[in-house]
Amino acid sequence: MRPADLATETDIPARSRGSMSRVGAALLAVTVGCVLADSAVVTLALPEILVRLHTTVGQVAWVLIAFNLVLALVARPAAGFYRRRDPAVLSALGIAVFAGASAACAVAGSLDVLIAARSVQAVGGAFAIVGSLQLLVNQLSEHRGTAWWIAAGVFGTAIGPTAGGLLTDWFSWRSIFIVQVPIAVLAVPSALAMRRKKGQALADDEPRDRVRIRPNIALALLSAALTAALFLFVLLLVDGWRRSPAVAAVTVAVVPLAALFTRPLVRTLRAGPLAQTTSGCLLIAGGLTGLALLPSAALAWTIGPQALVGLGLGLTLDPLSLQAMDGRRPPTLHGGWTIAARHAGVVLGLAILTPVFTADLRAAQSPAEDAITALVLDAPLAPQDKTTLAGGLADQLKADRGRVPDLDPAFARLNVPPVEEATKAQLERDLNNQLQRAATHAFRNAFLIGAALALTAMLSLIPLRRRGER
Amino acid sequence: MTRLSGRLRAAALPALAVALVGGVLGLQLANGGGHYVPLRPTDSCVSRPVNSVATGIDALTEELVLVGLDDAACQLGMSREAFTLQIAQPGARTDAQINALRTGLITAVGTLKADGKLPKASQLVREAVDQSDLSSFRKAAIRAIPDVLIDKTLTTDDVLRRTINDLDLRMLLGNLSDRHAMTVQVDAAVTKAVMERLADDLH
Repeated sequence: MRPADLATETDIPARSRGSMSRVGAALLAVTVGCVLADSAVVTLALPEILVRLHTTVGQVAWVLIAFNLVLALVARPAAGFYRRRDPAVLSALGIAVFAGASAACAVAGSLDVLIAARSVQAVGGAFAIVGSLQLLVNQLSEHRGTAWWIAAGVFGTAIGPTAGGLLTDWFSWRSIFIVQVPIAVLAVPSALAMRRKKGQALADDEPRDRVRIRPNIALALLSAALTAALFLFVLLLVDGWRRSPAVAAVTVAVVPLAALFTRPLVRTLRAGPLAQTTSGCLLIAGGLTGLALLPSAALAWTIGPQALVGLGLGLTLDPLSLQAMDGRRPPTLHGGWTIAARHAGVVLGLAILTPVFTADLRAAQSPAEDAITALVLDAPLAPQDKTTLAGGLADQLKADRGRVPDLDPAFARLNVPPVEEATKAQLERDLNNQLQRAATHAFRNAFLIGAALALTAMLSLIPLRRRGER
Repeated sequence: MTRLSGRLRAAALPALAVALVGGVLGLQLANGGGHYVPLRPTDSCVSRPVNSVATGIDALTEELVLVGLDDAACQLGMSREAFTLQIAQPGARTDAQINALRTGLITAVGTLKADGKLPKASQLVREAVDQSDLSSFRKAAIRAIPDVLIDKTLTTDDVLRRTINDLDLRMLLGNLSDRHAMTVQVDAAVTKAVMERLADDLH
């Protein structure tokens, strides 16, 4: 007997049971979205965390790495627990741990505490999402439950950076974690309400299907590539181009918006799964190459490449997750593998890309300083104003060492006669333009590596021998 | 027929993806994508025009310094910008840097002289006196000397060369953020250069 069938054995009237299960399922789906959004939700908050907790780019990346690494490591073992225990109880426990750790993240006073809390959050999150899959399958049906779970995860992943950016801008980075607490707390009773009835079978009694390697590898590689798209692009916007988190959040919203167009597109073209996933990989690779070849720091130029990434995301994550999970039993095991693959991919992406772009950012410092010096030396300003400005710029470069400097304070300190005000303003624009050029160029290699990862994912999907395919 | 339409259907989405990627990348490359990089410093060994908004002695000093920096950087095989950043850093400057800067400034005097950009000595002296911290009595005494006499006795390039040779460039670079200290140092060097020149003539 299938768990979905067993779950219907209850004394509650059918209509009431139906609406309750839908609300409960919706709350669980929101929790799944919330946990998976956490993978990237802090991306836009990283520059603020970097400043508030007095740390470096390399260290602050661990706020992301720790969560994804622990989630990747715990998701599969967590699935094992669900074979022998009531999924409702374990899920509720996981969600409660996730909520508690989110609260701890919100009050963290140091980077070490934040990283530790993020790790605990990931442990709770792993149990929450794997258990929620089992509960959704029990409540809805195997296919619908899996589809809800995947859709919630994709939605969370896509919307995470935008939500995090807006919250950071409106309130602070801590608000990202605060809003997660009530969502998770509400889901705890929903999970407990789905407790196993007497005589209901456990997943341990089900046969175990083999894990589908190919879609999981593709998911891992694509997640690494998408990390490049989201993490690096957000850093470029906020740290490189000095845009506010709110502007960055609205900008990266292009990705989830474009992802919405994939469903009608696939329906119109009646494309098969292989055509969808290979096209999606190609679009992500193309989008990342586009981000590596931006013609200027104008936000309009980022729309095209981001739309490609968004379309690619919509064409790949959903069908690949379905390929990896649909019809495979038990669902928790295959869900666990999928989560492990995706988040191992995020860690892989961060591990490869963080040292590349931090080294490139360091290397970009010298050409940027040369360009700024050239412009100041040749500026149509009085010699004494140039000397004063040069001193201010040197102080600013020293203060912001390792990051793209903010030149505004140096210009604010420079008092020039009214006739030179326009020249001063033009020079400030020119210098900021040089910094934007240097920062954009510094991210190029990392974006291209992301594109290569997406192309590798595409290659991993192309069947080598048709005869071997069953 | 069905197989053909099936193949066409299977190829439609990948073809659209290729077209979209090609379109976006093509548009970006056509608009300078791939060339959005910081300004590259020009070759310090190639002379470039100096456009100063200052006038008089300030303009002369600025032009002298910019041409001199180019020449010094050229001697050391680096860009003017890299050399400027090196010598503007607080801390010890190497002998090679100081020697290159002095040689560059002296060469710049020759370049400006050849271009006919050096003012007459009388003009230089009068402006220098106006901007200097000398006592009113001394200023009045120097102003009383006729221009013809100054121009007959002194040549601008000679005064500048003597001044540059006499300047403690290490100290001058250390005083970059202190305009008053710089002025005092340069005034002293100019005065000494003029006095030495007069002493040479008397001998």
